[in-house]
Amino acid sequence: MTEVLRPRAHWLAPCAVMGALLTALPLCALGSDDPREWLEKMNHALATRNYDGTFFHLSEGRLETMRIVHRVRGGRVTERLASLDGSGREFVRNNDELTCYLPDQHTVLVEPRQDHGPFLGSLPQFGAAVNDFYLIESLPSTHVLGRAARVIAVSPKDQFRFGYRLWLDEKTAMPLKTQLCDSRGQVIEQIFFARLDMPETIADAELQPAVRTEGMHWVHQGPSRDTASSVLSAYGASELPPGFHLTVQGAQTLGGASVPASHLVYSDGLATVSVFVEAERDPSAQSPGATPHDAPQEAPMQGLARVGSGFAFSTMVQGHQVTAVGEVPAQTVEFIAHSVKVLNGSEAPSH
Amino acid sequence: MSEQIREQVSAFLDGELPDSETDLLLKRLTRDAELRDSFGRYALIGEALRGASPGMLTQGFASRVNLSIDGEPVPAPLQPQASRTPRWWRPFAGLGVAAGVAAVAIVTFQQRAVAPPGVATPGVATSGVVAQVSPAAVIKVAPGMPVADAAGPLSAQNHEALSYTVPTASSESNAAIAPARLTNYVFAHSKYSSGLGQRGVLADLLIEDDAPAQVAPAPVKRAAQ
Repeated sequence: MTEVLRPRAHWLAPCAVMGALLTALPLCALGSDDPREWLEKMNHALATRNYDGTFFHLSEGRLETMRIVHRVRGGRVTERLASLDGSGREFVRNNDELTCYLPDQHTVLVEPRQDHGPFLGSLPQFGAAVNDFYLIESLPSTHVLGRAARVIAVSPKDQFRFGYRLWLDEKTAMPLKTQLCDSRGQVIEQIFFARLDMPETIADAELQPAVRTEGMHWVHQGPSRDTASSVLSAYGASELPPGFHLTVQGAQTLGGASVPASHLVYSDGLATVSVFVEAERDPSAQSPGATPHDAPQEAPMQGLARVGSGFAFSTMVQGHQVTAVGEVPAQTVEFIAHSVKVLNGSEAPSH
Repeated sequence: MSEQIREQVSAFLDGELPDSETDLLLKRLTRDAELRDSFGRYALIGEALRGASPGMLTQGFASRVNLSIDGEPVPAPLQPQASRTPRWWRPFAGLGVAAGVAAVAIVTFQQRAVAPPGVATPGVATSGVVAQVSPAAVIKVAPGMPVADAAGPLSAQNHEALSYTVPTASSESNAAIAPARLTNYVFAHSKYSSGLGQRGVLADLLIEDDAPAQVAPAPVKRAAQ
C-alpha cells in the first residue's frame, strides 16, 4: 500500500501546493489591495489612534485651515476641531458630550452625542445594498505629504448621491486627502492635511479650547425627550430615491421654535438626509433661545440653499414647513422634500 | 505674494517643504486671507500640473495645460511637461488655462439641477425645474479655477479631480431659507450625517460666514398630496 501511495503522494504534492496558493491568493489580495479592507483600516485608525494635524478644507473656492486633535486614553475619546482662520469656532468632544464654542455668536452649545464617530468621520461597513449604488475601487497609488498613499474611490452610480476619493497613508491608513465628488467626478469639497502627527501621548492642554468663554452664553441641551405631535408624526416621504430608506424617526425642538419638529432620517447606507416637519411658527411664542433676528424669519420658506458640501430644500406641505437637509446633491433633497405627505398607517415609501 | 512664499507654497504642494517651513507657511495662511485664496487655487492647479493623480486627469485637460505652457498643443503625457516648468511658475501657467476653459463648466453643469431621465421629482414636473434654473445665473465658475471636460459616466479612467465649480446665488433669488434656521437644521442633521459627510458638515459649521449661498428659488408648487 505504501508503495502505491508514494507515487500518488508525489503526484498530489504540486496540486496541494497549487491549491494552497490558489486559496491564499484571495487572502493576500484582501490583506493588501482590497479597497474595502483599506477603508476599514482607515476607520480603525481614525477611531483608535492619537493624532494631531492641521488640514485645509477647500469648498466653494474657499480655503479654511483647521486643526484636529484626537486622543484615545483609557477608553475615553477626546477630540478637538478648531478653525484657525478668523471665526475662532471650536468643537470639543469629550466621549459623549459635544461642546461647540462659537465666539462670534458669544455662545457655547453643549449637548450629548452618543455613539458618535470621530470628527474626521469614517465610512460605514459596506453591505451588499451599498454595492448597488456605489462602486468601490482602488486607483493608482501616489504620494501625498511626501508619503506613499493608496487611493480609494467610492463612486456613486447615479446622481442622487455623492462619492469620495481618499488618499490613505500606506503606513497608517490615515486619510491624508479626501475629496467629495459628484456622480460626474467633479470635486465638491476637498480636505487635505498640511501636517499630521501621530504621537504616543497628547497633553490635556492640546485639547483645551483657545476660546475665552467669559461672558459667553452657555446653552446646555439635555437628551432629547421631545415628542412630535401626532399631526407632525403622520408625515413622511412617500417616495425616495433608489436605495434610501427610513433609519430614524424622532422629534427635536429646533432653535427658535416653541414646539418639537418631527425629524426623519433617510439613508442609503452612506449618505443621509434629514427631513424636518414643523408646525407653522408663531412669532409671538418663541422659545427663550430665540434671537431678535429670528422674528422676520417666520415667514414660510420655499427653495433651495447650499449648505457647505450639501443642500437644503424647504417647502410648505399643507401648512407645515418641510425641510430636507443632507450632504447629497440638490435634486435628492428636492425629491425627498416634495414627496413628503401624510402617510396612511403602514404605508411605505416607494422607490 | 513674494517669490519666496510662492516657492514655499509650491514646495509644500510637492511634499518637499521642511517641517519648520511648513509651520511658518501655516501661520502665514491663518493670518492672510488673500494668501489662502491663492493657495486654494494653487492646490488644485498644482495637482494638475504635477500630474500627481494621472488616473484622474482627462486627456483634454492635459492638452489644455500643455497648450498654455508651450503655446502649442502637445499630446505628450502631462508629467514630463510639468517637470520642465519652473516650480514657481506652475500655478500661474494653470491660471491662464482656467480662464480659457471656464465656459466649459457652465455648459456642463447646466444639467446639474435636472433630474435624470426617467426619474421625476415628486410633485414637480422636470420641465418646471429647468424653467426655474437660469443657466447663466445658477452656475458660477470660481475665478482662476481649472475646469473639467464634460464628463461621461464616472470611471477610474476619467475621474476629473480639478474642477471647483459650485452653484451659487441666482441674481433674482432672496434667501430661500433663513440663515439662522438653516444653521439649526444643519446642526440637528449633523448628529445623523454618516460617513465622511459629517466632517464636511462640522467644518461648515466652523466657518465664520454662516449665511449660505442661495441657489435658484424652487418652483412654488405644493408637494403631491
